[in-house]
Amino acid sequence: MPLLIDQRIVTEDPWQLLDQAALDEGSPIPENGPVAVPLIWYRQHREALQQRNSPLGVIVNGDDDLAALYADHSQLDLIAIEFPTFRDGRGFSIARQLVRSGFNRQIRALGHVSRDRLALMQSSGFNAFAINDERFQTDHLQAFSEISVNYQGTTADPRPVFRR
Amino acid sequence: MYQYNQIDQTLVDERVEQFRDQTRRYLTGELPEDEFSALRLMNGLYIQRQAPMLRVAVPYGLLSSTQMRKLAHVARTYDRGYGHFTTRTNIQFNWPELAAVPDILAELAQVQMHAIQTSGNCIRNTTTDPYAGVAESELEDPRPYCEIIRQWSTLHPEFAYLPRKFKIAVTGATEDRAASQVHDIGLQMVQNADGEIGFEVLVGGGLGRTPIIGKSIRKFLPKQHLLSYLDAILRVYNLKGRRDNKYKARIKILVEALGPDEFRRLVEEEWAHIRDGELTLTDAEIARAKSFFTLPDYDANAASADAHASLSDSLATDIEFNAWYRHNTLAHRVDGYRIAIVSLKPYLEAPGDITDSQMDAVADLADRYSFGETRATHHQNLVLTDVRKGDLYAVWQALAANNLARSNIGTLTDMIVCPGFDFCSLANARTLNISDQINEHFDDMDHLYDLGEIRLNMSGCINACAHHHVADIGILGVDKKGEDWYQISLGGSSKEDARLGKILGRSVPASDVAITVEKILAVYVDQRGEDESFAQVVQRVGIKPFKERVYATAH
Repeated sequence: MPLLIDQRIVTEDPWQLLDQAALDEGSPIPENGPVAVPLIWYRQHREALQQRNSPLGVIVNGDDDLAALYADHSQLDLIAIEFPTFRDGRGFSIARQLVRSGFNRQIRALGHVSRDRLALMQSSGFNAFAINDERFQTDHLQAFSEISVNYQGTTADPRPVFRR
Repeated sequence: MYQYNQIDQTLVDERVEQFRDQTRRYLTGELPEDEFSALRLMNGLYIQRQAPMLRVAVPYGLLSSTQMRKLAHVARTYDRGYGHFTTRTNIQFNWPELAAVPDILAELAQVQMHAIQTSGNCIRNTTTDPYAGVAESELEDPRPYCEIIRQWSTLHPEFAYLPRKFKIAVTGATEDRAASQVHDIGLQMVQNADGEIGFEVLVGGGLGRTPIIGKSIRKFLPKQHLLSYLDAILRVYNLKGRRDNKYKARIKILVEALGPDEFRRLVEEEWAHIRDGELTLTDAEIARAKSFFTLPDYDANAASADAHASLSDSLATDIEFNAWYRHNTLAHRVDGYRIAIVSLKPYLEAPGDITDSQMDAVADLADRYSFGETRATHHQNLVLTDVRKGDLYAVWQALAANNLARSNIGTLTDMIVCPGFDFCSLANARTLNISDQINEHFDDMDHLYDLGEIRLNMSGCINACAHHHVADIGILGVDKKGEDWYQISLGGSSKEDARLGKILGRSVPASDVAITVEKILAVYVDQRGEDESFAQVVQRVGIKPFKERVYATAH
């Protein structure tokens, strides 16, 4: 699955993302290396995960209660936000709230991630994008600059147009 | 009016090229149907019964004559010579070619226009009082705030994929001509005890399948917090609005489910994080927005004795002009001026429709007599807001020559009507044949004048685009076993006394709509006291007498 980080195509992704289905089927947590698990799993197995001494991440979606996560994400190096369908825009607001809560490491868009929303996702706070193979083309990088101006603030420059 | 700067123009130009590429990728199969559907809707493009339909944004209803001429050109060149003004004060073209839409958008961009967010699950065109800036009872001109909201909401990265569409109205006068209580957010300009002007914030109004009057969640919002408060409301909605059922996805359903108090609590909690942040409006920004809506250069001689004499003379000698003056013009804040309404409800034409040559004629009149501007109204008419009294006769003559001077504003035939089954793929029933039927049945203008102010709105389906719930007489087209039937409701209002109409009873067949309206009006005439309007009678007597008369002789 192609991955864009900071508007570059990344060939090596150190992270292993384990979704709920894989964990339910008994997929083991690898002993080493960065791992991200669903938020609920993380809450249930927090101590064991932290003892691994490798970078940790969580996978969240719009159905999760995120208040506690916003309050404390100091142990996390990656937060992946799932877009279950093309029309589900909750992830934009979640990214926005995460950035506001001070999270400044990787915020990765997962699921229904495609070219025409990349710029919006980046403005809302995402800095990494996992795109399905069949939808990915190298010209996707141009999507970030299709609209070169914006009225609203972005993560990079939170000032709306009238404060610049 | 607002003039684009380099940022505005760049955004619109680049959006055209972005959409051109999206259309190309769709036509080559690279972009899946469901994604293109969401993307094209956010650019105003529907696929309708006959052809694609392109809805062009008219921000808060304000059009320059240059823009109007461009719309005429688009109608002539890319469509079948006409357009249709909507209740969101936008204009729709019913016959463009899908592949030509990027070229239409490029033409529009030349005159600071676009189709951004005229459809789709995003923040739509903000609407306001069509008489903003000239209305007598106005606290403050709401248009600068509409423009501030336009910029904030345009291509907002976070709010492009909301649970459902989102509509905001702003009103600054005592009379609510923006239907602000039936919007997702209604902003009413109010003055607090300290004399400051701010906004009362209403949330969760709307029509459609579940008509609801908006709830006030904040009695006074200082101006500088306008955007941060809107941001907080939208974020709560984006995160918590239902996405499992599109019929329950509007913010009104969320507000009803949580209750206004809990909804307010969530908004205030979110707002606490951002209220004094970057979105706080600066005095400089408010002043900048206001600088685009200054008073035009009114003629100090407009109220001269000569001008009055000329108007009085025309009124005395031409009874048709006299009727137009009484029904289609309104008092203006400045002595010597009147507000002139251009009726888009001519006899036996689709309400809200306007031809290319009519658009050119209105543009010429705006240039010559009304500082080059026109407004589109929620009632699907146009307005020349600043006409000297001494020029009214010439304006009327030119409008009459273009079939734009029917003196029916505010009367029964000044109907809001959606395009219905003839055009719309959502519609259950036809509407344009029924508006013709009502026009033919009530073709005596003196009778209409005697009946007085009556708002009749007709929608071709439950989505209620023509706002039938908030009309004195609301007509809803329904499909019964393949036949068009019409359900009638009475007593609604979208004004400051907003309320939903009550359903009269079982629906009537297409052939009986006008005769049923006649029976309803007969009850009104029987019951009315001196100077009592239709709306007042319905409020006083309830719908029972109407019901009895309408269904009395039925089987």
